[in-house]
Amino acid sequence: MLESIPLEYYLGLSAIIFAIGAVGVMTRKNAIIIFMSIELMLNAVNLTFISISSFFGNTGGPIFVLFVMAVAAAEAAVGLAIVLALFRLKKTVYVDEVNTLKW
Amino acid sequence: MNQEVFLAMPVFLISAFAVLIVVLDAVSGKNKTINFAFGIFSLLATAGAAIYTLTLQVPKLVNPADYHDIFTITKNTMVFSSYSAYFDILFSLAGILTMLASRSFISKGYHEYKEYYSIIILAVAGMVYISHANNLLMLFIGIELMSIMFYILSGYFRQRIESVESALKYFLLGSFASGFLLYGMALVYGATSSLELNVIAQFIAKNNFNATYLTFGIALLLIGLSFKIAAFPFHQWAPDVYQGAPTTVTAFMSTAGKAAAIFSFIIIAKALMPSFTNNAMRLVSTETMQMILAVLSAATMLIGNITAISQKNIKRMLAYSSVAHAGYMLMGVVANNQLGYDGIIFYATSYLFMQIGAFIVLSVLENKDSSNINLDNFTGLRKSNPYLAALMAIFMFSLAGLPPFAGFFGKYYLFLAAIQSGYTWLTIVAVISSVISVYFYIGLIVYMFFKDSDNPIAKAELKLSSVSLFVCLIGVLLFGFFPSLLMNLYAIIK
Amino acid sequence: MFNIFGIGPLTLITFLPLIGLLIILAIPAGKDEKARELSTNLYRWLTVGFTFLQLVIAIVIYMNFNNALPGINDANTMQFVEKTPWIQLHGLPIFGDLKIDYYVGIDGISAPMILLTAIVCFVATFASWSIKKAVKGFFMMYLLLDIGMMGVFISLDFFLFYVFWELMLLPMYFLIGIWGGPRKEYAAIKFFIYTLFGSVFMLLVMIGLWFTSGTFNLLDLANPANIRPDQIFSGFGTTWRLWAFVGLFVGFAIKVPTVPFHTWLPDAHVEAPTPISVILAGVLLKMGTYGMLRIAWPIFPEAVKYFQEWIALIGMVSIVYGALCALGQHKVGKRDLKKLIAYSSVSHMGYVMLGIASMTSAGVTGAIFQMFNHGTITAMLFMIVGVIYDRAHTRSMDDFGGLANKMPVYTGMMAISFFAAIGLPGMSGFVSEALVFLGAFATYPLYTVISGLGIVLGAAYMLWALQRVFFGKLPEKWSGPWDPSGKLYKHDDINGIELTALIPLAVVVIFLGIFPTYITNMMTESVNQLIHFVTVNGQFTGL
Repeated sequence: MLESIPLEYYLGLSAIIFAIGAVGVMTRKNAIIIFMSIELMLNAVNLTFISISSFFGNTGGPIFVLFVMAVAAAEAAVGLAIVLALFRLKKTVYVDEVNTLKW
Repeated sequence: MNQEVFLAMPVFLISAFAVLIVVLDAVSGKNKTINFAFGIFSLLATAGAAIYTLTLQVPKLVNPADYHDIFTITKNTMVFSSYSAYFDILFSLAGILTMLASRSFISKGYHEYKEYYSIIILAVAGMVYISHANNLLMLFIGIELMSIMFYILSGYFRQRIESVESALKYFLLGSFASGFLLYGMALVYGATSSLELNVIAQFIAKNNFNATYLTFGIALLLIGLSFKIAAFPFHQWAPDVYQGAPTTVTAFMSTAGKAAAIFSFIIIAKALMPSFTNNAMRLVSTETMQMILAVLSAATMLIGNITAISQKNIKRMLAYSSVAHAGYMLMGVVANNQLGYDGIIFYATSYLFMQIGAFIVLSVLENKDSSNINLDNFTGLRKSNPYLAALMAIFMFSLAGLPPFAGFFGKYYLFLAAIQSGYTWLTIVAVISSVISVYFYIGLIVYMFFKDSDNPIAKAELKLSSVSLFVCLIGVLLFGFFPSLLMNLYAIIK
Repeated sequence: MFNIFGIGPLTLITFLPLIGLLIILAIPAGKDEKARELSTNLYRWLTVGFTFLQLVIAIVIYMNFNNALPGINDANTMQFVEKTPWIQLHGLPIFGDLKIDYYVGIDGISAPMILLTAIVCFVATFASWSIKKAVKGFFMMYLLLDIGMMGVFISLDFFLFYVFWELMLLPMYFLIGIWGGPRKEYAAIKFFIYTLFGSVFMLLVMIGLWFTSGTFNLLDLANPANIRPDQIFSGFGTTWRLWAFVGLFVGFAIKVPTVPFHTWLPDAHVEAPTPISVILAGVLLKMGTYGMLRIAWPIFPEAVKYFQEWIALIGMVSIVYGALCALGQHKVGKRDLKKLIAYSSVSHMGYVMLGIASMTSAGVTGAIFQMFNHGTITAMLFMIVGVIYDRAHTRSMDDFGGLANKMPVYTGMMAISFFAAIGLPGMSGFVSEALVFLGAFATYPLYTVISGLGIVLGAAYMLWALQRVFFGKLPEKWSGPWDPSGKLYKHDDINGIELTALIPLAVVVIFLGIFPTYITNMMTESVNQLIHFVTVNGQFTGL
């Protein structure tokens, strides 16, 4: 059961997933993959919420997770639309090729 | 109970209007004026409701640890203080000023879609949620609602690569930052087992929490929020986004958006940096956090102002200067006392007027593809657009913090607050960085007034923007000459 | 006391130009040539009218001024006082209420300055006839500058003082930057940054003083009884207080300017148009020394005592170095007449520094009188340079010679002003310099003797300049009339408008040379009170 595994294990796992996501955001150049990494980060946080909530026996966590998922969906819609607009203009989704703004 | 319905009115109204205006989009056909008018009306109504709540006896910005279950209808997810109501007014005002200026601007640059106005209303709704949040979830939803609307707005000129690029950068970095913010919230939740800020504050006051989680949680929250207000070292997105986004959108984002982000900073700081606890059990004490924030604030204003000097594009220059202004506002959070929060309120208000004013002047003068907002394009503006040049000069002086304009008093109160809480060195850094900032603010004036050009920017048509500009001018002058009007407004309310 | 609709004379004299400014703003510049000319004349005469009204009020104030009342730190003997709450914040934690008053009043130190400002602003308007570009903006800025200058001299509240101090900076920046000479942008920015740099220190000290004494009222700040324990500037002779004094001193010294903060001055003067040079030299420089006497000296008396000798040294260096630089204008480069006069200002303001450092009755009286005289004399000098520059479009002394025959009246005016600047007996400059030397010799004999060198050098560069411009042979190119078309200048000699500006100043200079007591009597009581106050309070320290 859940109680048999200490909370720290869950939190450690989610921290690792979060770190993988964060590293992915910083190293990858493809906008879609960066976005997927961000989703990974959000899911790591969801895991944290769920496990903490379950540990405390408190309903705040799952509710939060539902909202995070909804927000992530909204973000996905907007984000993909932006990537699409970019692809129409530049025929690329690589962020290092998008560099008109600089000083 | 009854009173609370009135107190919650701004939130209810803006939520209802945000839904209604989306519906209106669907049914109004080709008529854009209806949406525009409805948008203005809903913001006015929200502001009106907020002004009404100010007349009720509401707490100013109470310590989260002090309020017990007083806000029953929203189950403690929201708080109705006079600060919240004041910020509601500010956000609505920013929305109105932006919408008035946007009408001719967006049709000049691209095409006027009526959804533009709905998005602004939705963004204001997000900000209003932030200003009333007493729950981490509420805060998160507010921040995300506002941010997602900003992503869309910055990419509004979708045929223009700069606009789309800025939207992409903003989107990627913004959601990256949201990840940190969210993780921080999760850890704070883990440390205290509650999402409600007043409960969290009580746990912290009683030293009843898990120190490791809380420390990491606070650190991650700081990173996430620093991203949102564009503080050093997470400020790099701001110049790109502010430059690429449509100018009126930049005006909105860099004022109301920044004020909302700073407000969430205040909420978090209020709950997590109680000045009255002994912090024996905490890894990060309030003093350390203040110190970290002070260093961030000092670095933010120095970097912002120094980098702004070398900019050739005025929009980018103002973007860097807005980074610096985030640094000034952080001083109030660092001070962590009433004077500091009052100072932030004053600063946010005066900053709203001068920054929106400056961006609107830019938006009016811009050509179709926004290629004429470099410093040399403004050469000789005195001749072709004397009144716009004079307005811009006033906004620049105010941004530089010279009396008798509103910007001076804003800075002045923040300096007082920082000195009062013992951060004299931070004040000295702030003073030095404002002297540095004077260089580029008056540099623009040199171009506009002192140099002559053969082909200055043609005389601009103001249309509805003139109303916005007039309001901004009045704000900058009125609160410059009579700052006590504003300061006593919310002193009396208490 | 006399009031008009409840508005006191000081408010009236300060904000009267605001009405003029708004009227000018309301009058359109006109589209065609004729309308433009009409509006230009209207702007000019409106400005003349309003500055004349100011002068009238200043004279009325002078007539009603009671010489027996000392003022300085005594609120009851301040004259023409007006006090209304301006900014009030209630219930600040720890420190109670933040109260900033619109508190104005004058005593023997500020009254001569009010008179000086009114005179200089009035005559400088006539020098503005040569302004041809954007006349509307020019006169609006001119009147705004006028408000700022008057405001500085009447304020008895530190915050109000600071606001006026900065307010005056903005129009000055535009006046140099838009209507200036070829390097106007550089000069304007340099002026702005220098002054701003000085004033931010003032701001910090002001905030610190508020924490220490809980007020912005200058008279209350000076009262040691108001200092609360354990604040930043508590206790006498602490390091913080000494630093605060240095901060204030630098802020004011930049404005004076003393060596080593003087480098903005030659640039600003050379690039500024004539009327602005006149105001810059005539009034603005006095604000620095006035601020020292009004703010730095009474609030930090022990620091004055501590730094007294250094201040005197700075005064001496300014005198000698300024004079050497002015003399150097005869040797190097373009032999710019205006630059020469600009450097002579540095030298002459050095006398003021020496006088106020001496802390003797004669020295301080002489210093304030010197502030007044330098204002009138230098105003004349700059106008005289302006006259020749308008005609010949050069200021280089090499280009001239033998003008005495061509412009006899002009030569006469120039001789009066140059002799006054040298300090010839019978002219006002002589009296004030003699008083300064008299006072300073009692305290710092060595510095005073070395400063005497300034007089000798002054005579050298002034007379040399006079000789180069007026005597010798007239260059070939100036043999004809200044303006062959005869449109601008009917005669070769100085014209009526310019004389209107110069003659009142010449009268003042000669009159005060013979009857100096008409001004010095105003300040005797105040100066004695100031010296007494600073000396007594300066004792508190163990330094």
